[in-house]
Amino acid sequence: MSAGTTSVSLDKPVVHPPRRMPGDHGSPLTQSRGVARVLRIVSTALIALWFALPFLPLVLWSFANQWMHPAAFPMEAGTDGLTAAIANGGGLAFLHSLLLSLVVAVIATPLGAMAARALSRGHVRFGKAITVLLFSPVLLPPFAAVLGLNVLLLRAWVPPAVGVVLVLVAVAIPYTTFSMRAAYAAYDDGFDDAARTLGASSRLTLWRIHLPLIAPALARSAFLAFLVGWSDYLITLVVGGGHMITLPLIIASSASGVGNESSVAVLSLSAVIPPLILLGFIARTRNLDPGKQR
Amino acid sequence: MTAVQSRPRRHGMRATLLVLPAIIPVAIVVIGGIGTTVVQSLGLMPLVGTPALSVDAFESTDNLLGSALLSLGIAVVSTAIAAVVGFFTAVLIISGNWGGRIVGALSAAAVTVPHLVGAASVGLLLSDSGVLARILGIPPESWPALVAGPTWFAVIAEYAWKESAFVALIIVGTLATRITSYDETAAMLGASRGARLRLVLFPLAAPSLLVASAIAFAYTLGSYEVAWLLGKTYPEPLSVMALRLFNSASLTARPEAAAVAVITLLLTAAIVGVAMLGLRRMRAWQ
Repeated sequence: MSAGTTSVSLDKPVVHPPRRMPGDHGSPLTQSRGVARVLRIVSTALIALWFALPFLPLVLWSFANQWMHPAAFPMEAGTDGLTAAIANGGGLAFLHSLLLSLVVAVIATPLGAMAARALSRGHVRFGKAITVLLFSPVLLPPFAAVLGLNVLLLRAWVPPAVGVVLVLVAVAIPYTTFSMRAAYAAYDDGFDDAARTLGASSRLTLWRIHLPLIAPALARSAFLAFLVGWSDYLITLVVGGGHMITLPLIIASSASGVGNESSVAVLSLSAVIPPLILLGFIARTRNLDPGKQR
Repeated sequence: MTAVQSRPRRHGMRATLLVLPAIIPVAIVVIGGIGTTVVQSLGLMPLVGTPALSVDAFESTDNLLGSALLSLGIAVVSTAIAAVVGFFTAVLIISGNWGGRIVGALSAAAVTVPHLVGAASVGLLLSDSGVLARILGIPPESWPALVAGPTWFAVIAEYAWKESAFVALIIVGTLATRITSYDETAAMLGASRGARLRLVLFPLAAPSLLVASAIAFAYTLGSYEVAWLLGKTYPEPLSVMALRLFNSASLTARPEAAAVAVITLLLTAAIVGVAMLGLRRMRAWQ
């Protein structure tokens, strides 16, 4: 991939100014000084505390074997919580959750991408109505749909696992469709056209040109769909009818009891870490900009 | 492009085929699910007996109004906190200092946490023998009843925490680059910090703030697990009431559960409608 547009010699070399991204240093113009600076630091610390505080009990309790009440911090560190979490079926539930979320992501991402592709090019009839329909699961109270669906799926003899996947895919589709739509709004069809003009078949164009170019957006969409499956409690509980024991179900049953704080903390922490790892990967992918490839 | 224009029918067909796989599951869940719920609430789909159209389920459900008001109250307070905190978080992230980057990473982490896990950790944090009470050295008897107490403090705190991260994410995602350039222009023309916040940052962020708040509100109104885990048993929010009725042994309870769901749907639709009107007005004004 050494031949980019940068290797074409032009009369005047085109210099792209570095693009400003959110998170880049602010310019001196908007930087605060004096009292405003102190206020800014204090408010930053308060907001950081606001977002970090709920993670604190998970970390403290996860490694506490013994933590009697008056003590400000755990008295004895250990892995009792982990042992209890595994004894509660945490391991298998973790695998179930992982499998369910992956299946939801694998189905909802291509469906969303295809719909977004068609909608963003404006050739779809009733495009507006379809957009509203595809977005509606975000606003819909899940329990309102699930109460009715449960009856519907039972009467249609749909297996509980299939029902859970169906409902979660429907809930994930708004996220995949709208994140892919944003990606396609910035996508240049010229690359596909150029490949076709140069004699590539439509399949080759899809695999070698189109998909690599939208891969980062696909990864972001898949992450959102994964989160839908990973976070769900109610749909798995009601539609799954107790046949599918995922991590949130185990967490709910442990957390509603008394005295198993360290087990709850270990299970919760194991539900927090996988999305964070994926988030780390996603944050490192940047949109490919073929004009600027090095 | 001439090939495309000469084959509009084929192109429309292809577009429809591309959209259809997404429409089918959503239509089954949204139209099928809501349709069945409405039909059940009107007594047309009883577990036993003959179907008959009636609004009994809406009238016989105990304390439906109280639950609706409670749900609305929780949603209003937590969404208001989330909108304010989320807006200031977005401003901090967009300003791009190192502090903004830390806040950005922490809020992104909070977005990925499942609500149930958030509820479990808020419970561990705020209960009368929770982590906060221990660190501050306050005995359980003088610690206020934040979890399962009359103020619904823990429930509101969890929603506000998660949804503020969501609001910040939406604002940053939609407006980051545009806001920075306008902010710098205003600063160069001599606008003070307060003036820039009030006259530049807020108006630019307002549409996405409104959309994000409406989504957060709808979510809070329809969410179950947080209020179930951290809330009082009576009075109960709409979602908790619906699920309790749904799981109860009584035969008349199913239509009542569906009636509670229909009320929640109507409230959500009303709120979303108001938000859309507000958005239209905002666009017209800009």
